[in-house]
Amino acid sequence: MNGSFRQSMAWLHTWVGLLLGWLLVAIFITGTSAYFREEITLWMEPETHDSTLTPNTLDMAVAVLNDKASDARSWDISLPSARHTVAELRWQPLQQRQQQGGGRHRGESVSMDADSGQVVEPRDTAGGNFLYRFHYQLHGVPREVGRWVVCLATMFMLIAIISGVITHKKIFKDFFTFRPGKGQRSWLDAHNATAVLALPYHFMITYSGLLLFMTMLMPWGIDAAYPENRRDFFSEVFSRGGEEAQRPGNPAEMVDIKPLIAQAEAHFGKPVTRIGVTNPNRDNAVISLRVDRDPAITARQRGGDPVQVYNGVNGELQQTLLPSEDPVAPSWRIYNVFTSLHMARFADPLTRWLFFLFGIAGSAMAITGMLLWVNKRTQQLKRDQVPGSSLKLVNGLNMAAISGLMIAIAAYFIGNRLLPVTLENRGDQEIQVFFLVWLAALIHALLRPNRSGWQEQVALGTVLWLAVPVINVLTTDSHLFTAVAWQHPALASVDLVCLAFAGAGGYTFWRLIRKPAPAKRAPRKKPAKRTTPSTTAPAGENA
Amino acid sequence: MILLFAVCLAFSGMTLLALAMKRHQPQILDRKLPEPRARLARWSGWACLAVSLVCVLQVWPTGLALFMAIGLFAFAGLPLVFLLPYQQRLAWRLAMALPIASGALALVSA
Repeated sequence: MNGSFRQSMAWLHTWVGLLLGWLLVAIFITGTSAYFREEITLWMEPETHDSTLTPNTLDMAVAVLNDKASDARSWDISLPSARHTVAELRWQPLQQRQQQGGGRHRGESVSMDADSGQVVEPRDTAGGNFLYRFHYQLHGVPREVGRWVVCLATMFMLIAIISGVITHKKIFKDFFTFRPGKGQRSWLDAHNATAVLALPYHFMITYSGLLLFMTMLMPWGIDAAYPENRRDFFSEVFSRGGEEAQRPGNPAEMVDIKPLIAQAEAHFGKPVTRIGVTNPNRDNAVISLRVDRDPAITARQRGGDPVQVYNGVNGELQQTLLPSEDPVAPSWRIYNVFTSLHMARFADPLTRWLFFLFGIAGSAMAITGMLLWVNKRTQQLKRDQVPGSSLKLVNGLNMAAISGLMIAIAAYFIGNRLLPVTLENRGDQEIQVFFLVWLAALIHALLRPNRSGWQEQVALGTVLWLAVPVINVLTTDSHLFTAVAWQHPALASVDLVCLAFAGAGGYTFWRLIRKPAPAKRAPRKKPAKRTTPSTTAPAGENA
Repeated sequence: MILLFAVCLAFSGMTLLALAMKRHQPQILDRKLPEPRARLARWSGWACLAVSLVCVLQVWPTGLALFMAIGLFAFAGLPLVFLLPYQQRLAWRLAMALPIASGALALVSA
C-alpha cells in the first residue's frame, strides 16, 4: 500500500469494492426494483386485476364498511390508482382499541373490487415488498442486524465512490471514451462511463441511504438530548400530526360524501385519492379528503398530502391543510431532499421510470466493477497458467451475485404464478423459491467458475425471464394479450420489462458464445467485452 | 413532450462537447477540427445543455428539476459513449436530427 496517494486510493477502491461488491450488487438490483414495488405487488395479485374505478366505487365502499364495521372508531378508504386497482378499506374497530390501548394499530382491512363492490381476496404473496425490504434489511437475519450490514455496505460504497473519483486519472478527458474489444480496458471504460456520467445519482442514493438510517447509526445525540426516552425524540421530530383521538359521540346520520368530494376536487384541481372518516355514523364524525401532493422534494413530512377536513354530519368545511406551507428548518430541508429523492415516493410514472434507469446505471457500475476485477487478473495470468483458487472463487461469487440473482428474481415471479393459490404461508414459500434458486445458482457458480458457467447461467436467466410473461399468459386473464392488462399499464409494463430483460440476456448470451476466449492464453477468461449500445442494454444484461 | 425535446437536445449538447475534444473529432467527423471550430463546438454544446435545463425546469419544481436534469444529461451521454466506437456517423446525424424531430413533435402536440 505504499506509493502515491492515488495508488493507495486505487488500492482502497479495488479492495473495498471487492469486499462488499456482491452485497452492493444485490442491494442495487433489488433496490432498483423497489421503484416499482407497488406495480410488482399488483402484478403478483392477479385476483385484483379486473377492477377499475367507477363513479359508484365510493358508495359501494361506504356500504361495505357500514356492513362490516358501522361502529368503527375510524374508516379509511383508498380509492384505486394507477398502481393499485382495488379499493382498500381499513378500519379501527371500537373494541380492539379499548382492549389493547396505546401504540399504533393496523386495524382491519379488506380489498374491494372497484366495479362490483365485491370483497376480493388476493392470493397471499410477498409481492414487491420482499425485494424492497431485502434491499435495506436483507432476509432471515434479525432486522437490526440486516440493517447494520446494509449500512456498512453503504458506507463502503461511499468510500468506493470517493476513492474511485480520486483514482480516476482523466475524468474529463475520458468522459466519452469507450474502447471496445480490448478486454480489461473495455471493462474499465464501461465502469467509468456508468460511474462518472451518473455520479450525482450514485452519490445521492448512497448518502441518502445512510441518512435514512441516521438515528440507528448515530443515536448518541438523541440519547444525550432525550436521556429518559428515545421515543420522545421520534414523536417530537417525526410527528405524524394525526388528529387527536376523539371519543365516539352519539349515533347520527352522516352527510353524503360525494358532494364533499366534488368540492375538494374543485378546490385542489385533482382527484381525491383517500377518504378518512373518524367516528363514522356519530354526531362528531369528521371526514378528511386527501389528494396526491405535487412532486416537491422539500416538504416537511414524507407523508404529508394536501387534505380538506369536513364536518361529517352537516358537511361544513373545517380546514384545508397544505403540507408545503409549514415552516421548514434548513436541516430538515436537506434531510428531506435526500430521503425523498432516495425513495422517489413523490414521483409520477415518468420520474419513476427515470429513477429505475438510474438504478440500472448504478447496478451496471457495480457489476462492471466486479467483472473488471476478475478480468484484470485473468489477463495477468501467464501462458498456460491456470487461474488460482481465489480468482475462481471471486469469479464464481460474481456469477452468483449477478446472473444468479437475476435467475432467482425471475424464479420468484414464476413461483408466484405456479405455486398453488391455497398453499399455507404462500408468501413465505415464494421467498423460499427465491432463496433456493439463488442457492442453487451459487453452488453451480462455485462448481463452474468459468466461461461455460456464465453461458449456462445467462442462458437459464434468459429462458426464465422469457418464461415469466409466457406463464402469465397461461395462468391469468391479465396478460399482454388482454385488454385488462392494458387497462392498467402498470401490469403490461411488468411483462414488458421481463421481456426486455430476456432480450438483453439473450444478447449477452450471444456475445458469450460468439467470440470464444482467446485460446490458451486465458482459458478462463470471461467475455472480452460486453457492449452496451443503448442505455437500456446494461439494464437487461445486469439487471 | 418537452422532456423528450430536452433529452434530445442534451444528446446534441453532449455530442458537441465530445466534438470539442481532440480524441473524438476523428470519430465523429473523420477529421480534426481547427481550434476556433472546436471552441465553437464547446460553446454550442454548453448552450444546448443550458436550453435543455430550461426545458426541464418547466416540467418539475426547481430542486427536483436540477437533479433530474443532471440525470437526463447522463442518459443522453451514455448512448453517445457506446455509439462513438461503433456508429460514428450515426452519432452526428442523430445529434442533428433528434432535437429537430422532437422539437417539432413538441410543437405539434402543444
